[in-house]
Amino acid sequence: MNAPENRVSADVAGLAAAIERTAADLAIGEEPAGFVLALEGDAGPAEPRD
Amino acid sequence: MTEWTVQTLARAIAARKISPVEATRECLDRIERLDGRIHAFITVDAEGALATARALEAELAAGRNRGPLHGVPLAYKDLCHVPGLPTSCGTKTREYFVSPIECTAVARLREAGAVTMGKLNMTELALGPFGDNAHHGDVQNPWKPGHCAGGSSSGSAAAVAAGLALAALGSDTGGSIRLPAACCGVVGLKPTYGRVSRAGVMPLSWSMDHLGPLTRTVADTALLLEIVAGHDPRDATSSRRSVPYYQRLLEGPVAGLRVGVPENYYFDGIDLEMDAAVRAATDVLGGLGVLVAPVRVPDPRGLTDIGNVISRSEAAAVHARLVRERPHELQPAVRARLEVGFHISAHDYLQALRLRSRLAREFITEVFAEVDALVVPVIPEPAPALEAVKSGSADDVVGRMGRFSRLTRPFNGLGIPALTVPCGFSSDGRPLALQIVGRPFDEATTLRLGHAYQRTTAWHLEGPRL
Repeated sequence: MNAPENRVSADVAGLAAAIERTAADLAIGEEPAGFVLALEGDAGPAEPRD
Repeated sequence: MTEWTVQTLARAIAARKISPVEATRECLDRIERLDGRIHAFITVDAEGALATARALEAELAAGRNRGPLHGVPLAYKDLCHVPGLPTSCGTKTREYFVSPIECTAVARLREAGAVTMGKLNMTELALGPFGDNAHHGDVQNPWKPGHCAGGSSSGSAAAVAAGLALAALGSDTGGSIRLPAACCGVVGLKPTYGRVSRAGVMPLSWSMDHLGPLTRTVADTALLLEIVAGHDPRDATSSRRSVPYYQRLLEGPVAGLRVGVPENYYFDGIDLEMDAAVRAATDVLGGLGVLVAPVRVPDPRGLTDIGNVISRSEAAAVHARLVRERPHELQPAVRARLEVGFHISAHDYLQALRLRSRLAREFITEVFAEVDALVVPVIPEPAPALEAVKSGSADDVVGRMGRFSRLTRPFNGLGIPALTVPCGFSSDGRPLALQIVGRPFDEATTLRLGHAYQRTTAWHLEGPRL
């Protein structure tokens, strides 16, 4: 492996390890779309104009 | 032009004190005089701008006013598709991004009367926080030549700071509106994910991309946001939530609002002058009756890793053809960041998306139960020297990029609004800035706090000597 390939492998391995650590106790029901629900579900004070 | 804001110029035009053609010519003259050394523009559309200005002048003479931007010169990051103008996205290719539709945000500004001056320089493919560009020239900081303008919306911030346009649009995937705004001493807003349509804009990472305004004042940002925000059927991620009257809400009281200043992470290792300026800004807010208190926030490092997995996977997918067919055209650090994305597994990408949901829900629930907004720095140090940030290997540069954007990236992962507001200058004249972070879709409160700060201070009235 040359230097750039080593660097890419190291970066990818680092990110994969971080995901593995954080995802260990992720609930089965967690979906990507939960992100939009998290945003839409907590509106701050706002004055509708229409 | 550095004396005008969008609001004051629009009022002067409506009152026939200055004409759209005069305002446009003044910006063109400044571009002609200054942009050879600032490099804020990739394309200047002098002919088109003057034609639009003349048409708007004729409309005014006939008693027609299109609205709050009638005759005001604006410019757009060169990843917004504007019919008739090329969109390089900061690459070597003149027309890298071709869209069948006009950028919705640009269309809304145009319909409100804006004059398009041209397309603004940016970091190649919006991948980098320093504003260097090997193809179109490194954008110079108007306050400090030889220093970076921030990125990736480097031209947007530099053009507004230098008075080459009254306001600009930028995009923000990891801080690309807020970082250059902080480096160049202007206001920049990353709205809530879904608040502003990204239709007609080059995607970098569809899960993390945001479009927003850069202006000299918070009041101008409120004005532009009111125009560009709102549902767009051409962007499936745009929210159907109604758009508030942001300008009207600006003047509401700030006394009693709760602002948290994080005890952890956000001030660690920050430049001393930057640290002092941001804390002094919180004192100003405290003097206005804002309840400022220290707060502990969830450690954002996990969120940053998750954001990197998502954004690099998506960027590699979007730009795969360029990376595989013409990699030699890309700047080494840009290519290095894109290449990582080819090797991230589908498993890790999907886990990252699922984790993002959980972390966003937890952060919003925990933090905003205690405070209405957070105040943190935007950049860890004032705009660094361009030669220093470009030196070394691609790995060195990529590492530097991550450190410089470490205070903005978490809020892309969370999707919540974050506003850069200038708050002083370093001892050698480089701008300092704070970041006001609010609840989802509560841009109104972040803007109200920023506007209250600007009504009490005068940093935003300063202009670079050019």
